[in-house]
Amino acid sequence: MLHILSLLFWLLIIPYCIGLIPARYITADKKDPGVVLLSGYFLMWSLFEVIAIPAVFWVKYNNFTKASICFMVVSLLCAAAGLWLTYRMHKTQGTSRSVRGPGALFKPLPPAQRIEWVLFFILLGVQLYMSVSHASFDGDDAYYVVESLIAQQADVMYRILPYTGRPTDPDIRHALAVFPMWIAYVAVKSDIHATIVSHVVMPLVLIPLSYLVYYEIGRILFCRRGEADGSVFHSENLPVFMCVMAFFQIFGNVSIYTNETFFLTRTWQGKAVAGSLVIPALFWVILRIYDGAKESRKDTGLWILLTCVNTAAGLCSSIAVFLVCILMAVTALCLAAVERDHKVVVKMAAACIPNVIYMSVYAYLAYGYLLR
Amino acid sequence: MWGIFLESVVIFKNYMGFDQNGYLAGIYLFMLLYLWLTEKDKRIKAVLVYAPTVILLLFFCPLFRKAFVRILDDSETYYRLLWLLQMSLVSAYGMIKLCGRHRRIGLVLMCAAVIVCGDFVYDSENITKAENAYHLPQDAVDIVDLVEPEEGRITILVPADLIYYIRQYSTNIELPYGREMLIARWDYWHDMYMAMEQAKVIDTASFVELARTYPCAYIVLSEDRQMKEPLTGYGYALYDRVGEYLIYKDMETDIATVK
Repeated sequence: MLHILSLLFWLLIIPYCIGLIPARYITADKKDPGVVLLSGYFLMWSLFEVIAIPAVFWVKYNNFTKASICFMVVSLLCAAAGLWLTYRMHKTQGTSRSVRGPGALFKPLPPAQRIEWVLFFILLGVQLYMSVSHASFDGDDAYYVVESLIAQQADVMYRILPYTGRPTDPDIRHALAVFPMWIAYVAVKSDIHATIVSHVVMPLVLIPLSYLVYYEIGRILFCRRGEADGSVFHSENLPVFMCVMAFFQIFGNVSIYTNETFFLTRTWQGKAVAGSLVIPALFWVILRIYDGAKESRKDTGLWILLTCVNTAAGLCSSIAVFLVCILMAVTALCLAAVERDHKVVVKMAAACIPNVIYMSVYAYLAYGYLLR
Repeated sequence: MWGIFLESVVIFKNYMGFDQNGYLAGIYLFMLLYLWLTEKDKRIKAVLVYAPTVILLLFFCPLFRKAFVRILDDSETYYRLLWLLQMSLVSAYGMIKLCGRHRRIGLVLMCAAVIVCGDFVYDSENITKAENAYHLPQDAVDIVDLVEPEEGRITILVPADLIYYIRQYSTNIELPYGREMLIARWDYWHDMYMAMEQAKVIDTASFVELARTYPCAYIVLSEDRQMKEPLTGYGYALYDRVGEYLIYKDMETDIATVK
């Protein structure tokens, strides 16, 4: 029971409370509890990355415990700050900017949409059930899952070869992507074996989170647009969109390389999180920022969120940092062209600053010896 | 340059599963074209149509591929650039835009198209019923439970089919070689691996001498693994049996092996 309470605390309550910080700076009509939770995860992962990476490279002994303590203190402080900001906002501004309650997600479904929503939740349930009841073999687990387990059992981050157990120096490309260390953190806090956390707990968290991102994208695409484009853009098509997305995930296994295959067969690996959560989240935040008139694009919270999503890419995979930079650059140029506004490029470049720092650290660690 | 372009085409075809009759790419490309022609919201068009098109063109651009591979020092992950297309997202949006006025029939048609053109993930040969909460083979768990010391770490030698799993259960167990030996293209060489896996019949004398250099406290062998002479003639005792695996304990280096 204590295990489950710990998981709920670290995987639901803390991220939600942390998410109240960026949510404080997002206008009320653009946020709901799902937005807060997603914002919390991306901010929390960014914090973990900023704390864990220096510990990996510059703390030699017990670096996992030291990083864990720092992260625990920082995340608890951020969660408290989120609650305090929300309380102050309620006091000074009433409920006009506050997050709509859970009712915003769980209000009674209109009868016309009920069948589609039920179908979607059945599809989601099947994916969650299969992720728990079935094992998916992937050779990379011998690296990533064992790294999590080493951190849990030996209190060491990236200084033991996962394949054999021999001592080693951190492998820069993998050691910068500290997602397995976050899994180890959850494992230690919940006192559950890291392999069980990876293979069972993570899918139960990450699969719904990915669908939450698709839900938020669907809301932008189908619920907020005028009638000018015709009748397909109404909220009744949101559950249809969710069902089709679920079918794409379940039947997207056309090869072992697709992000849909990674999503359901290697859910707990950082690269799968990059492909199925971080990259779609970039689409979501960019669509949300550029949804509507120019005056409505000054939501500081959304820009904080965009920066956090970029930062979280580095937690997942070193290559993901490079990929999201390409996506950001190409999207910024396309938006600048259609908007005829070069400031788009400047703003989106600013959101990529964490990626530039990450790549600089990578280059320094990998090629720094050339300067010495 | 032409060769690099053709390589990108092969990567694209492999990614899309053309050789396995996967045609989700057809849906995606059709929907991308449809959205090019019909999407009126310029911002959505920029994010869901123009940007993916540019990324697709970059993917096939030889100069871009050369730069990508040079910067990342890795050509095997080039396919991940296609993750930026978010094919399912763009396809689903396009399909609903096309069929959304007939919601229920449209939903049936869309799902049917995805099922016909896609491939069901759960009938993959890599997905099996979980044997325990760890999602590891029960044999691997049982073997580690039998040999794991109460304190310290030991090295054990296991057959290739257990290598992936042993250290996912306990990092107190070390291995002379790991998964790196099982990926042929990584091109590693290890004398213990050669003696254990590559020899048709294990030469017991040299095998034992090699195993004791680590030293391996236990040797796990498939029951049908052929050996010139039994291990029991070289200071090993049959310790236990798990499924099809026989566990031999090295009696000569018994204490010294716990680190």
